[in-house]
Amino acid sequence: MSELGQRSPHGLRSLLIVGGGTAGWMTAAALTRVLGRCCEISLVESEVIGTVGVGEATIPSLPAFHGLLGVDEGEFLRATRGTFKLGIQFRDWHTVGESFLHPFGPYGINVSHELFQAYWLKRRREGSPSPLEEWSVTGLAATLGRVGSPPLKDPSSALRQLSYAYHLDATLYARFLRAYAEGRGVRRIEGEIVDVRIDPRGRVDSLLLRDGRSMGADFFIDCSGFRALVIAEALKTGYVDWSEWLPCDGAVAVQCETAGDPVPFTQSTALDAGWQWRIPLQHRVGNGYVYSSAHLSNDEATARLLERLEGAPLSDPRSLRFKAGRRTSVWVGNCLALGLAAGFLEPLESTSIHLVQTGLARLFSLFPDRECDPAISAEYNRLTALEYERVRDFLILHYAASQREDSAFWRHCRAMAVPETLAYKKELFTRTGRIALLEHETFQPASWLALYAGLHVWPERHEPIVEILAGGDLKARFEGMREVIRKSVDTLPAHTTFLNEIVTRPPQ
Amino acid sequence: MAGSVIRRIVIVGGGSAGWMAAAALAAVVRRRVEEIVLVESSQIGTIGVGEATLPTLRAFNGSLGLDEIEFIRNTQATFKLGIEFVGWNPERAFFHGFSDFGPDLRGVSPHQAWLRMRAAGDDRSYCGYSISTLAAQLGRFAPPIPNRDSVLGSYSYAFQFDAASYAAYLRAFAEQRGVRRVEGRIVDVRLRAEDGFIESVVLEGGRSVSGDLFIDCSGFVGLLIERALQAGFEDWSKWLPCDRAFAVPCARTGEPTPFTRSTAHQAGWQWRIPLQHRTGNGYVFCSSYISEDEAAATLLANLDGAALGAPRLIKFTAGRRRECWKRNCVALGLASGFLEPLESTSIHLVESGIGRLIELFPDRGFEPKLAEEYNRLMARSYESIRDFIILHYWASGRDGELWRYYRNMPIPDGLRHQIELFKASGTVALYDSGAFAEPSWISIYFGLGIFPRRHDPMADVIDEAALRRELERRARIVTGAAQSLPTHRAFIDKYCRASG
Repeated sequence: MSELGQRSPHGLRSLLIVGGGTAGWMTAAALTRVLGRCCEISLVESEVIGTVGVGEATIPSLPAFHGLLGVDEGEFLRATRGTFKLGIQFRDWHTVGESFLHPFGPYGINVSHELFQAYWLKRRREGSPSPLEEWSVTGLAATLGRVGSPPLKDPSSALRQLSYAYHLDATLYARFLRAYAEGRGVRRIEGEIVDVRIDPRGRVDSLLLRDGRSMGADFFIDCSGFRALVIAEALKTGYVDWSEWLPCDGAVAVQCETAGDPVPFTQSTALDAGWQWRIPLQHRVGNGYVYSSAHLSNDEATARLLERLEGAPLSDPRSLRFKAGRRTSVWVGNCLALGLAAGFLEPLESTSIHLVQTGLARLFSLFPDRECDPAISAEYNRLTALEYERVRDFLILHYAASQREDSAFWRHCRAMAVPETLAYKKELFTRTGRIALLEHETFQPASWLALYAGLHVWPERHEPIVEILAGGDLKARFEGMREVIRKSVDTLPAHTTFLNEIVTRPPQ
Repeated sequence: MAGSVIRRIVIVGGGSAGWMAAAALAAVVRRRVEEIVLVESSQIGTIGVGEATLPTLRAFNGSLGLDEIEFIRNTQATFKLGIEFVGWNPERAFFHGFSDFGPDLRGVSPHQAWLRMRAAGDDRSYCGYSISTLAAQLGRFAPPIPNRDSVLGSYSYAFQFDAASYAAYLRAFAEQRGVRRVEGRIVDVRLRAEDGFIESVVLEGGRSVSGDLFIDCSGFVGLLIERALQAGFEDWSKWLPCDRAFAVPCARTGEPTPFTRSTAHQAGWQWRIPLQHRTGNGYVFCSSYISEDEAAATLLANLDGAALGAPRLIKFTAGRRRECWKRNCVALGLASGFLEPLESTSIHLVESGIGRLIELFPDRGFEPKLAEEYNRLMARSYESIRDFIILHYWASGRDGELWRYYRNMPIPDGLRHQIELFKASGTVALYDSGAFAEPSWISIYFGLGIFPRRHDPMADVIDEAALRRELERRARIVTGAAQSLPTHRAFIDKYCRASG
């Protein structure tokens, strides 16, 4: 039996974050908040190297992250010119001309997802379909352009189901978090890294900057983006390539002037060789075309994006290349990769910032000391791999279940095989109506239902559970529920009204 | 036949599993099916020897709408706050209670905070933060109050009851709701020629009972799932070599303890389950390391009161059915697998099997994907409990031939990873569908003397003096709360004493 550990003389004395994009400054902010002054936290970044900063839509875990940091919502939205986001509208994904909404939060009120789903599908089969989003407080609010704060103090209110995230300007967000982190003692070092020194045990010893300075630390967090200069360039950690399932490998992004009030949802429009995002901020709209270079050139993608903008472009289009996948190990020795250095999943479900957050939460629950015991990193890597795979499968479903056949790209997607885990889920759903959750899911059954229904993937079997559990008053119960949803959402202010109220509110 | 509803459900076997299934299906699906039949033979005994359970049983009983007091009176039940393990760690007994060690402190688990203070020289036992442990030690019990923020609302409880009485009680419940009981011994199972589905079971005397869905609760033999359908068995005896048990009730002496006791012996372990009217006992042993006679003698020599009958021998093999659901047959209870009752999981596995069957309820098309999903989920439940039980043996510091075997055997990969992680960091890696949460794993690790090499560095972020004060405050509150409870005996006498 092992001896009880003494109070560790091996605690981390210093942490060095490599790279100052969104991931880097999120990491710096969270570390300083949680560790206080116990540990010296530095971040090295270079102004000559730009950040990718196009991950500008988020999912509802971000408000919780801000809760941890103690960030005021109004201050955050002012600083990042952010707006509220209640979900994603998918246009032309099933077939051209069809759209659907993937709202945050559950369907129904005080009802299990299983019963809701069974009832809704049963009504549909019986010839009385109803729009799925109208059964979700968040979905209906998105459709009507309404947003409000969930009434945390009123447990009986249907609006407690309301769940939101944000659209934000990623560059401004990194700047906002930088001010937060620097204000709490994080040291920022301006410099370009030219070499990574590895010690004989294979651990990172120090980084060499162009001006000759050497930066050592007990633990390194690689937030250097696609380049992954510590985890990949120096430590030679491999990459699991998922491009066979997620063929998009390029994106072009451009900001444009806004035409009209911002809607409280992200829009994703399927195009000939990929899809286009539209993210409305207070002062502009972020746009991008994620495409497959096997089916479209960068010039063509750029031209296509520019001709589809609703307002004048506000910047030169920027191009990115990537490969869908994940790092084989995100934590190796005394180096952890977060953000794009850890893996890349296209922003189809706005998971980039979320994955940084969960990566940080996991770091706090498996916090290392200077020893960096491999049993701890093994667990971290196991959980990360599961999480990425689950998100990957959800993304693949968008492509694999599309009915489009109007371009070589979509024909390719329809013909491609999907991972076994996704094949199992999809077959289980189509044959039984059951949504299987595997270990470590990010997206819950409500999200899977939104996607299946939106892409017209229907179960062949009518679930007996609805007959079994249902009394005769089931229809009355659900109609009552729908009425409550409608009335509750009706009390919410318009998105811009609410946004204005929050950004002008004095800090709380 | 997709879309065609199940008309007749036939349950084979009337032990606790059979009548639990009958009662649950009667409560939930009876109105939607034409008939639910349970076939049992009064000549065939049931295993039921006095069962200890997990707190999930309360949810199961609740879903049937059973009145808790009436249930207790009918089954001679006592309350259970956890399990005391004696002899597993040669240095001291320890407790696995149905409560945690308090809320997190600034995001740090309480066991990590405790480890830090222990490293700083504090010598308070971690048990002092566990309300269930303290209450059990004091022989006290009252149900938790409905406030999770209070220590008195932070624990859970289960029951120790007479399994045969439970089956009888559920039988009355089920029969009142239209379940038809057929007395008879099954001599044959007829399969449909075209697809191998079960068509009917044939009783001695030639009567047959046909149905759409068959539920095999026939115990170890697996009359339908194995004998007729050959679903296969995954043998886990290389990890859990105990293969026999002797069971015997004895007269109760003294107050009924609000906990089950497990005492390690040379070739296995002995259970002690106090009921209101008597105490259930059993010796789970490995026949390669002790003779049956010696095992029976050991059991009889270690009872608190006079034996009420001769010890009954039960033989088993640890493992699970490869397919708990095959074609139109779902196996529950011992027909679906066997894990020794070290953590009182048998009834829990029946509950979760029934719950999943209802969630995945088939129609006469018997879509194979339903069975596949059911089997996937049941396999995970079985494996997570298996690993938890293996940990008790593998980490025991006990000496002896069998115990050395346990200590040196290769263990499943997932468990090895879990143990390595715990030793490195005190973190519990949880797998999905686990019946046991973090506090349970910590109770066993700490109880068996497995402490991590270091505590969570996050615990060092908290000021030491403040942390010490907070832990002292908590210990005082927990002790006071435990002492404020009535004795277990007094509580039973006041609210739910059985008449018989």
